Amino acid sequence: MATIIDITEEKALEIKNFQFTYASASEPNIKTLNMPIAKNAITALIGPSGCGKSTLLRSINRMHDLYPGNKYEGEILFNHRNILTEKEDLISLRSQIGMIFQKPTAFPMSIFDNVAYGLRLQGMKNKSELSDRVEKALKDAAIFGEVSSRLKHDANGLSGGQQQRLCIARAIAVEPEVLLFDEPTSALDPISTQGIEKLIIELKEKVSIVIVTHNMQQAGRVSDYTGFMYLGELIELGKTEDLFVTPAERLTEEYITGKFG
Amino acid sequence: MTYIIDKIFANATRFFALSVLFITAWIFTVLFQESLVAMQTLGFDIITGEKWAPNLEKFGGYAAIVGSIMSTFLAMVLAVPVAIGVAIFLSEIAPEKLKAPVGVSIELLAAIPSVIYGMWGLFYFVPIIRDTFGGLGIGLLTAGIVLAIMILPYMAAITRDAMNTTPDILKESAYALGGTKWDVIKDIVIPYAKAGIIGSLILAMGRAIGETMAVTFVMGNVHKIPKSITDPATSIPVTLANEFNEADSDIYFSSLFELALILLVISFTVIAISKFYFLRRKRSL
Amino acid sequence: MTHTKKRILINKVVLALSTLSALIGMGFLFWILGILIINGVEAINWNIFMFEGAPPGYEESGLQHALIGQLILVGMATLIGVPFGILAGTYLSEYGQKSKLAETIRDISDIMMSAPSIVIGSFVYAIVVLPMGHFSAWAGIIALTIMMIPIILRTTDDMLNLVPSTLREAAFALGAPKYKVILQVVYRGAKAGVLTGVLLGIARVSGETAPLLFTSFNDNFTNYDLNEPMASLTVTMFNYATSPYEDWQQIGWAAAFILSMFILGLNILGRLILLAKKGK
Repeated sequence: MATIIDITEEKALEIKNFQFTYASASEPNIKTLNMPIAKNAITALIGPSGCGKSTLLRSINRMHDLYPGNKYEGEILFNHRNILTEKEDLISLRSQIGMIFQKPTAFPMSIFDNVAYGLRLQGMKNKSELSDRVEKALKDAAIFGEVSSRLKHDANGLSGGQQQRLCIARAIAVEPEVLLFDEPTSALDPISTQGIEKLIIELKEKVSIVIVTHNMQQAGRVSDYTGFMYLGELIELGKTEDLFVTPAERLTEEYITGKFG
Repeated sequence: MTYIIDKIFANATRFFALSVLFITAWIFTVLFQESLVAMQTLGFDIITGEKWAPNLEKFGGYAAIVGSIMSTFLAMVLAVPVAIGVAIFLSEIAPEKLKAPVGVSIELLAAIPSVIYGMWGLFYFVPIIRDTFGGLGIGLLTAGIVLAIMILPYMAAITRDAMNTTPDILKESAYALGGTKWDVIKDIVIPYAKAGIIGSLILAMGRAIGETMAVTFVMGNVHKIPKSITDPATSIPVTLANEFNEADSDIYFSSLFELALILLVISFTVIAISKFYFLRRKRSL
Repeated sequence: MTHTKKRILINKVVLALSTLSALIGMGFLFWILGILIINGVEAINWNIFMFEGAPPGYEESGLQHALIGQLILVGMATLIGVPFGILAGTYLSEYGQKSKLAETIRDISDIMMSAPSIVIGSFVYAIVVLPMGHFSAWAGIIALTIMMIPIILRTTDDMLNLVPSTLREAAFALGAPKYKVILQVVYRGAKAGVLTGVLLGIARVSGETAPLLFTSFNDNFTNYDLNEPMASLTVTMFNYATSPYEDWQQIGWAAAFILSMFILGLNILGRLILLAKKGK
């Protein structure tokens, strides 16, 4: 029933027959989902509340494993392997697939230590090496200029928009292949939102991006591909400009034109 | 008419609320007044004097004060690591199904009256100490251990509450970078909840200082600085509990009151410090 | 070992240590409850309830005096302390709110809640026992009341504060005077929480020994005269357990058992009330 376009370019992830059931649920919250994620592109996931877009996103870096009882079925292929298996090394997976959350989550430590956190986890100790990587990450996140003089200051002193950029710098410092954004600007003002959107577009040259957003216009501005989800199913996946202008599915059209929210 | 009732009600509530302040001030005042005789006669001897011999009219409270400090210190050394371990277990490690039963058990332990801890200590723990270390089995070590076990549940519960204030989303961010549970606890939870954790520990210590019944059974009430940890000793609350009803002269009573005042000031200060520097109460409105 | 492998190992060690701590904590709980139940059940018989205190060695020795005394002391303290605490807590939540005075009262009350109970006993000795010339139940009641007030005050304040302001506003908008809003709307909304607070306050105060040691003192006989010293379970426990007489010690365990079952019962009841409210 779903219309999913074939992606000819290289894929970063391939989601196959994916099913997900929360611990407390009696039936699957995500049903038989198939979806390719293009490499070095931005794929947006849109849909009404409860459609499963965040659930899907958090499955990609196995966040659900933090809470017992959740069940994955099917496959998510990444670098030629299914990352949903029991023997998948989650710690190493999470250094290859990073995540940015709805609210800025600056750790209670200095700006420098925040960005260096992932690197230190991997064992990097050399001060100059850390310093270089932190600087590069902050520059790539377009925030270096604003914080270079106060790297040792507490990260909580930054504004909301700055903190979110900091979280992005922190995530990209470990040079992941995929970045997952879970409604990254929902807690930010319009101007900060603009800045983050611009940053995300720049980042796609280095990383493959999946972004969940409540805001259709944001999906339209930022993404190359858009997937519309409804009640745990992927209804349509297409090139963004095609999906928004000439959606293939009726449900998609109704959502986009605001017939339901 | 309604207006009058409204005013009466409002004033009644204010009266009772203010009474709390009044009673507190009254307590300090009365203790101070009762201590005056001792203060004038003994001066600093009440704090520095090592000899406590009521029949000789000597009231040196040094041994009692030191006993209070040492037993509390010992109890903290023993209880803090275990309490933090339990708090970490309850807050981060226990599976959801265990969190409630274990958490409730710890809270029920905290509800058991201290006199029962004292009885248990006397009948069950003293023999163990006696067998292991010789001597009477009653003394500083036993008191410290019983006190530690007594404050452990309370300390664990409030430390767990402090740790639970860490927002999930902050912890998830650290997991998302590949952190282990311990990484998240040490780098995120503990720094975030640092003030609450330290405040909880200090608050528990403030309670331990004033604890009477758990230690009266097992401390020995000997007004001497114990030479070894297994020697009998005394603390201010133990002295008060054992000697208040035996005091027979004005100076004896007054010295006891002065010790009580010293105890109140110390514990009041410790608890106030924990409150004002570490435990800011969050009001939901 | 790579850094990550080291991290994973340390993680496992810490998890094990902390689980061990939890086991130690639970272990003590079971140990103490265990000996309470074993000794208590062994010591309980009808004598406990039928007879008053008697010298050691007497067959007809029991806890009747202590049980009744405890009920009177705690009961009277509750009768005085609960309304006092609820009204004071009402002031804080409904009138004072975030004012400096209210915050000060809250802070002082909190601190007094954790202050040494034996000091309270000394205070009451000075203001009641000395002028009266002898120990009395009244002194014990006053000491317990002073301990109960901060507990009830704090829980009432917290529970009333949980009632959403929209509820109050709706009542005001209908033209209700403030005292009616409080009595008819706010109290009703916080009923379960305040009741639990009262139960927990009673539980805490029932377990106190130190403030009674030199106020209500003790008595071997059942007596209802509040001007006279009065027996209590806690002080009796203290006296009997520290005595060298085995039969007295046994009775002490019976008292310990009865008291802890009562206190644990109140605690569990309080929790169940809150759970029932959440379920609605």
